[in-house]
Amino acid sequence: MGPLNKICLALCILITPVVIFTGSLRVAHAQSDLILSGIIVGVETDEEERLTKFAISDSSGVVTSFEVASTTQYGLENQAGDRWVSNQLDDPVEAARRLRDHRRRFAPVTVSISDGVANSVVERYEGKLETNLGYLFSAFTVTWALFFGYVFYISRKQRVLHHEIARLKNSSE
Amino acid sequence: MKKAINSADLLLVLTSALMALTLWLVFMWVPTETNQGSVQRILYLHVPIAWGSMMGIIIVAGSSVMYLWKRKQIWDRLAVSSAEVGVVFGGLMLLSGVIWARPVWSVWWTGEAKLTTALILFFVYVAYLMFRAYFPPGAQRQRLSAIIGLVGAIDTPIIYFAANLWSQAHPPTITGPVANENSALGSDLGTVLLAATITFTFLFIYLVQCRYKVRTAEDMIVNLKRSQAVTMTGL
Repeated sequence: MGPLNKICLALCILITPVVIFTGSLRVAHAQSDLILSGIIVGVETDEEERLTKFAISDSSGVVTSFEVASTTQYGLENQAGDRWVSNQLDDPVEAARRLRDHRRRFAPVTVSISDGVANSVVERYEGKLETNLGYLFSAFTVTWALFFGYVFYISRKQRVLHHEIARLKNSSE
Repeated sequence: MKKAINSADLLLVLTSALMALTLWLVFMWVPTETNQGSVQRILYLHVPIAWGSMMGIIIVAGSSVMYLWKRKQIWDRLAVSSAEVGVVFGGLMLLSGVIWARPVWSVWWTGEAKLTTALILFFVYVAYLMFRAYFPPGAQRQRLSAIIGLVGAIDTPIIYFAANLWSQAHPPTITGPVANENSALGSDLGTVLLAATITFTFLFIYLVQCRYKVRTAEDMIVNLKRSQAVTMTGL
């Protein structure tokens, strides 16, 4: 393995965990918006049936209402399990209809909120978002560790074989 | 005298740069997907690795055809190198898929078509390498392993079409000719997936060329030992 290869590999080995670690922290920070899950208990619309406000009741019965912004995103499933993905700007009428459907079915949703405005309204997450970060971190760490391990295995094997070739050539002379 | 930079060094530099860029795009640039949240970022690892593992078996099959046709050692070396790198990619495809499935599907594994055919691909690689390791060296081993490689490649189109043919938990194909328009990624997510796929393609090529060099050195040792034995017998 030449010096350039060694430098590149060393840089990759140094940079990769740093990027994965700081990246995961950044993602964790981005996810630090308040997250609330519950049942839809109220949906408000304007005269053109566009969603303006909604409220959810969490597992302890506390009702919280949210404003929606043009950037609010939706990922909601119907009874058959088909997911509708859109945002407030594109389809506010459908958003209201979907939320009313959820209220009728008592289907739980997860809302991420910042400054009282809902950033996203999606089907309730199965697990905690914080736990999911562990999966993201492990997937990247394990994969890159195995790749680097394999590169080391090959380069070590290469070195051993070159020594063996040199030894055999010397012994035959 | 200053040593000239060869193509392998350039490939490594390029792969390293792309790797850093991809990690930056995945963790710093691409927006978080609404439905799955941050864990969806595993996509940028899982799909390119899966692409690498399928590319591996296609190269094994192509090299096997060339070996059976031309009977040149380079094709056999390329096939075995590609198979070894392919088994690494295949194993990581399964591992990253399992880690992703747990938070999204609430199970580590399901016996559905896409996952099962991907597992079969991994076993094909393992079978190919085990055959190479335990069958006595020679032309017959190379011929038979070429046939195993060819038969194993049949699994590739089945994996690609599996999610579309048998609609189950695994999402339908999002890239390539049969990609489902409804499930296609947005422009930002698609750009990052493309960048990651290019990076892992370069990584695959780099690893194959490293393994090819090892294979060439191993063959050289066998030839040197053989020629020494002939010389000693002659004495």
